[in-house]
Amino acid sequence: MILPLEIHNLVKRYKNSSVDAVKGVSFEVKGAEIFGLLGPNGAGKTTIISAITTLEKPTDGTVKVFGVDVTKDSMFTKKQIGVVHQEVINSGFFDVEEILEFQSGYYGLRKNKERIHFLLSKLALYEHRNKRVKQLSGGMKRRLMIAKALVHNPKLLLLDEPTAGVDIRLREDLWNFVRELRSEGTSVLLTTHYLEEAEQLCDRVGIINLGSVVCVGATKEIVRQYTLRKVRIVFAEQVPVQSPYLMEVIGKDYFFVIPQEKPLGEFINELGVPTQLVRDIQIEEGDLEEAFLKIVSQKDGQVPL
Amino acid sequence: MIGFLTIFRREIARFLKVIVQTVITPFVSSFLYLLIFGVSLGQQMDSHQGVSYLAFLIPGLMMMGLINNAFQNSSSSIVSSKFSGDLEDLRVAPVTDQEIIWAMSLGSVVRGTLVALITYLVGSLFMYYQQGEWLHIAHPVSALFFLIVAGLIFGMIGISVAFWATTFDQLSAFSAFILLPLTYLGGVFLSIEHLHPFWQMVSKLNPLLYLINGLRYGVLGVSDVNVGTAAVISLVGFAFFFGLARISLRKGSFQRW
Ligand SMILES: Nc1ncnc2c1ncn2[C@@H]1O[C@H](COP(=O)(O)OP(=O)(O)OP(=O)(O)O)[C@@H](O)[C@H]1O
Ligand SMILES: [Mg+2]
Repeated sequence: MILPLEIHNLVKRYKNSSVDAVKGVSFEVKGAEIFGLLGPNGAGKTTIISAITTLEKPTDGTVKVFGVDVTKDSMFTKKQIGVVHQEVINSGFFDVEEILEFQSGYYGLRKNKERIHFLLSKLALYEHRNKRVKQLSGGMKRRLMIAKALVHNPKLLLLDEPTAGVDIRLREDLWNFVRELRSEGTSVLLTTHYLEEAEQLCDRVGIINLGSVVCVGATKEIVRQYTLRKVRIVFAEQVPVQSPYLMEVIGKDYFFVIPQEKPLGEFINELGVPTQLVRDIQIEEGDLEEAFLKIVSQKDGQVPL
Repeated sequence: MIGFLTIFRREIARFLKVIVQTVITPFVSSFLYLLIFGVSLGQQMDSHQGVSYLAFLIPGLMMMGLINNAFQNSSSSIVSSKFSGDLEDLRVAPVTDQEIIWAMSLGSVVRGTLVALITYLVGSLFMYYQQGEWLHIAHPVSALFFLIVAGLIFGMIGISVAFWATTFDQLSAFSAFILLPLTYLGGVFLSIEHLHPFWQMVSKLNPLLYLINGLRYGVLGVSDVNVGTAAVISLVGFAFFFGLARISLRKGSFQRW
């Protein structure tokens, strides 16, 4: 089974730097999945993406795109990849449509009008197609970067914070578009600091901190593993409750934190309080943000999954 | 191949967008040079190998314009791409270093030759006004050969310098401290025959002398140096700077400033 992306023991030390920006990272992106690479500022996300696109040469380790080492046959791997860089590009000479035409040409596509127009309307840029980049707003520039990455219909899409500065409605549209691409078989590697979006969007995530992957897995699995369920029960009157999960009592409000795997019914039965005394139950599930914060604040390297 | 053609087309489109700098400026500057040196000064100069000073000056100015513009075209294209960040696009896209080098240096040839042509036309106009006849090109094939080789060489020098440069100033420094002196001392304005033998020898170490005189042979049929030698030296220079451009792309930075 050939994977869209396999990274094995990737190490990157920049010139004039005394520490490794990426310290032996390994993970893979599977076919038609959205993989989120998450991590605090400076964790090494952009560096990893640069190694995939050959903008930066790995110090050690291998990066394979559809089974081919990017340092060996980059002409092949580059054709498979579309990339949206974190920094917006400001090319001054040409308008939006010209930029996309040149971009198509770089990928060997001479006539690509149809695709270009499709992308322009998909990314709400059609009416701005004759503007120069500097006449676009920040979010429009970002969308132009995305259109550029897609002119050649890449099988592996790398998105380095594609939604920074994009307004909420268009962000929503954009993520739907990414889902659409996934359903057509495109694999996506994305980085974002919007963890709520990552949770909704990503099939799997890898969490990286200080140049090392500290956790990789299915998004739901990670959330389940690293978060707790908070339960608040309001009783009709004060009751004696014996539970190892009880955290706090405020008047008739009882606050519990229970493990994810514990069935709720079992937990309530164990309280030994007649159910007719229960007025209200509120459950607050943990989310990716909680898991993320827990994972990146653990200092001792690898967190077992 | 399409990648190469696209970069080439982009180079042409880019200099056409800044047409004032690329075409009007050389028009004005060659007009001024010809007016001041060719017409005013030329009347006090003896004719040299049977050609008037004005005629002598024209191929020199053509080559000077070509060299400057060829260098400018590739170097400023790369440097402005570094500045805006879209140079990274070329590294990320499936185009080879060779395609980039050829496309950019051919872009330089086109712009350089265009400028040389404008200079030729302006010069020819002066000739007609002063001497009642147009300037005929003595050996068109040689002229074209030296235009193309010089355009490629300086396109490739522009690429190499731009890839190593880390600021705009480094580019202007290269222009001002290396390119300009070498062109001025390469026999644009004077035949080296007028020089002291020692300076003649020094001049012969200046590679630009061969390009300028090669073109002068092509346009006028006269030259300070043997044309065969000039052609060989030009081709050696071309091979050298092609190699240098390849190294620059491999080792230089595509990263934005
Ligand atoms: N060109 C460079 N030269 C030297 N060091 C660099 C370079 N680029 C990045 N670094 C360093 O490498 C580390 C990782 O940076 P990287 O840009 O990959 O982080 P990131 O995870 O993308 O962060 P962010 O979320 O802020 O985008 C940082 O410590 C950074 O200072
Ligand atoms: Mg980054």
